[in-house]
Amino acid sequence: MNYFDKDTQKSPFKVSRRGVLQAGLGLGASGLVLGFRPGRTLAKPSSAATDAQPAFAPNLFVEIEETGKVRLIVHRTEMGQGVRTSLPMMLADELEVDIDQVELVQAVGDKKYGNQNTDGSTSIRLNWEPLRQAGAAAREMLVQAAAKKWGVAADQCRAEQGKVIGPDGELTYGELAVLAAREEVPDKPELKDPSDYRYIGKKVTGLDVPDMVQGKSTYGMDVRLPGMVYASIERSPTIAGKLGSFDPAPAMAVRGVQKVLTLEARSQPMNTNASVAVVADSTWNAMEGRKALEIEWDSGGKTLESSDDYRAKLEALVDGEGNAVRSEGDWAAARDGAAKVLEARYHGPYLVHAPMEPLAATALVKDGKCELWVPAQDPQTARQRVAALLDMPLENVTVNVTFLGGGFGRKSKPDFIIEAASIAQQLEGTPVKLVWSREDEVKHGFYRAQNMQKLQAAVDGEGGLVGWRHHTAFPTIISTFMAGATDPNPFEVGMGATNLPYAVPNVQVEASGLTSDLRIGWLRSVCNTFHAHAVNCFMDELAEDAGKDPVDYRLAMLGEDRKLKFSPREDPYPLETARLRRVIERTAENASWGSKLADGMGHGFAAHFSFLSYVGMALKASVEEGKVKVHEVDCVLDCGTAISPDSVVAQMEGAVAFGLSMALYGEITVRDGVVRQSNFHNYPMLRINEMPKVNVEILQTGNPPSGVGEPGVPPVAPALANALYPVTGKRFRDLPIAPQLKA
Amino acid sequence: MAISFTVNGEKKTLDVDPKTPLLWALRDTLGLTGTKFGCGMNRCGACTVHVDGQAKRSCVTRVSSVEGKEITTIEGLSPDGTHPLQISWQKINVPQCGYCQPGQIMKAAALLSETPEPSDADIDKAMAANICRCGTYQRVRGAIHEAAAEMKKA
Repeated sequence: MNYFDKDTQKSPFKVSRRGVLQAGLGLGASGLVLGFRPGRTLAKPSSAATDAQPAFAPNLFVEIEETGKVRLIVHRTEMGQGVRTSLPMMLADELEVDIDQVELVQAVGDKKYGNQNTDGSTSIRLNWEPLRQAGAAAREMLVQAAAKKWGVAADQCRAEQGKVIGPDGELTYGELAVLAAREEVPDKPELKDPSDYRYIGKKVTGLDVPDMVQGKSTYGMDVRLPGMVYASIERSPTIAGKLGSFDPAPAMAVRGVQKVLTLEARSQPMNTNASVAVVADSTWNAMEGRKALEIEWDSGGKTLESSDDYRAKLEALVDGEGNAVRSEGDWAAARDGAAKVLEARYHGPYLVHAPMEPLAATALVKDGKCELWVPAQDPQTARQRVAALLDMPLENVTVNVTFLGGGFGRKSKPDFIIEAASIAQQLEGTPVKLVWSREDEVKHGFYRAQNMQKLQAAVDGEGGLVGWRHHTAFPTIISTFMAGATDPNPFEVGMGATNLPYAVPNVQVEASGLTSDLRIGWLRSVCNTFHAHAVNCFMDELAEDAGKDPVDYRLAMLGEDRKLKFSPREDPYPLETARLRRVIERTAENASWGSKLADGMGHGFAAHFSFLSYVGMALKASVEEGKVKVHEVDCVLDCGTAISPDSVVAQMEGAVAFGLSMALYGEITVRDGVVRQSNFHNYPMLRINEMPKVNVEILQTGNPPSGVGEPGVPPVAPALANALYPVTGKRFRDLPIAPQLKA
Repeated sequence: MAISFTVNGEKKTLDVDPKTPLLWALRDTLGLTGTKFGCGMNRCGACTVHVDGQAKRSCVTRVSSVEGKEITTIEGLSPDGTHPLQISWQKINVPQCGYCQPGQIMKAAALLSETPEPSDADIDKAMAANICRCGTYQRVRGAIHEAAAEMKKA
């Protein structure tokens, strides 16, 4: 039996006032109480944990009680991108309820909710139609129920903010809930006219913000269960390494340490290293115990390949032939017949995510079941992996999703959740919270791939592009799921390499892969970050060679307006060069591009299409005493329809900070067999004193909504590199930039 | 060895290793999880609390060093979450993931008690102690100015 089912009979959630749940979720016969605070509580399954079955639950996303209480279920993960506001906005708008009066319920990981994998900037796009329909269907049923009760036609009634208003009176949704439940769920409910939107497209303050500013939101790191113990893990420095010898005695002697456990390495797709876990009565004591461990790892003679050696391999790859992933016209003929051929190589290092919350996961294994409370971007995969690990049927594994203190792709990997479940299995009946240190997070990442690209352009006498060759080389993320995979996948090269928007008659895009000693993962914007850097910097180099302004050059090279399709994934959303053109023009306009700048100031430009959205950026920077100062960034975004515009603006502001951290400082390097970086002192982040003024304009183009969380990042690094060229005379083809200025 | 101090106005006595950082005593022993763990080495400010009114990073503050002192955490900044910064933070919609925000707010509160009308430069100088990976810095600046203006009116 599910812990939650048992619990709900003993110690139900009590709804005390708007959006407020009292904590007090007993767990099983032991009377455990889950210490979630009052507020818009997370980590609670939907109807399974509510005190009563709602009177009206026409679909997975809407529940209405007779009391009038409205619950909206959020099935995607909140990590700062604002889904726990924007998804409810879509539901509440169509349902016609006051968004400040609803209670948000975070869904457990369950395939009944459809795609819950919160990555790829897809939460809005995938749910724009279904969630509006879910809200509208419920609204129509409530209206129908009221009409029947009054004996009037449904079209004489309308729904408004939690009530149905008829010719002679009104009824609240609570009063109608039982009746509405008897109505048939409409197949095709009528959606609102956009001019009637109450929330969509308007500023709505984040629904979780009131709790956040009081420290009341429960992140993965904050989960507390009675009787809970804490664990810290020492991992093999190499992926395939085995535990040689170790002595648990010194760790056991540390105050509060209760157990020392070993965990075996698990290959893809589990992807966990061999490790030793120290279990104690507090996080600190577990960490202290871990420090006392004496371990010898058996690496099998294998050490991590150095970044310099890896770079040399990448360089050799791009200097040779790769797999052709896009071929149009005849690159070789264009090259041979060109007035001039320009070329440049671009390099980017491994990067780690560094979300402010290091990884943490809480697990309880008891009576053949496992319950987890985790900051998971992908709770369904976590559930599957844990079920496989523990050899349990899927339904015996419950994955409760907490807030994420940042994710950026790292928390889509369930390795830390698998580790917690492994420990919990060995502590049957005792809940355990596994806490990763910052050092663990930096040294045991799923890294953005180190990469190298060679770009070549064949130009005519006027600087026009007649041929383009782009050879990109990096270890594929597929290696994270399938051992030994090397070839970059089409979706990876489709992030900024194959989907070149410029009109060039002869295009050759090639890709080369290789294995890596490090685990490769998604990091915000994925391959777009390095492809956008190379393409945008190269376009500036070509413009200079042609004696043209970089913005004018881009606009000229875009050619006639075209709708480009590169993969089925983009089917309903082709790359429309007219939209990219508009974004470029508007960015230049907002930035007063071409106007005179102060001495020592450079203005850099970049534009990129990713996650089906279009972003232009113009960035002003100078160098003062060997340090880059970024003064101002003008950003224009076309994401079709912006549901929650203030969140969209926030994502662009944040993308600038994220992109600048990457461009200036981001670098994970391997030397002498180890990852050199460990914490914020040697993997620095942009700080407030380095934050430029960011001006954002959203172009509401009426197209269907597309990505927002990621598309702002890719243009930042090239805009900065291009801004620094006139200031320093140097083309920053290698990232990060800051160490090169010191030299 | 028992260590006694005041947290958010309540007297607490703890029996923990005196070397334990205040951060973990607050979070694990006292259950005050609003104070966050970010780096553990005095770099990110997510763990910022007030010790006798001064902003301190609790991850490198030994619990033994706060014997007899008054600690304020985000949970105790105001009785009902209505400190001017908590209001301005909502008005300007500052948080994204929200994880660093308790530390940001505690640091900003200490800034405002010393410098009631901070300039951008004052804000940058003080708040450079706190990392926000989501990049909410522009709004942090705005919200501090907003709170300062409200406090001046009051």
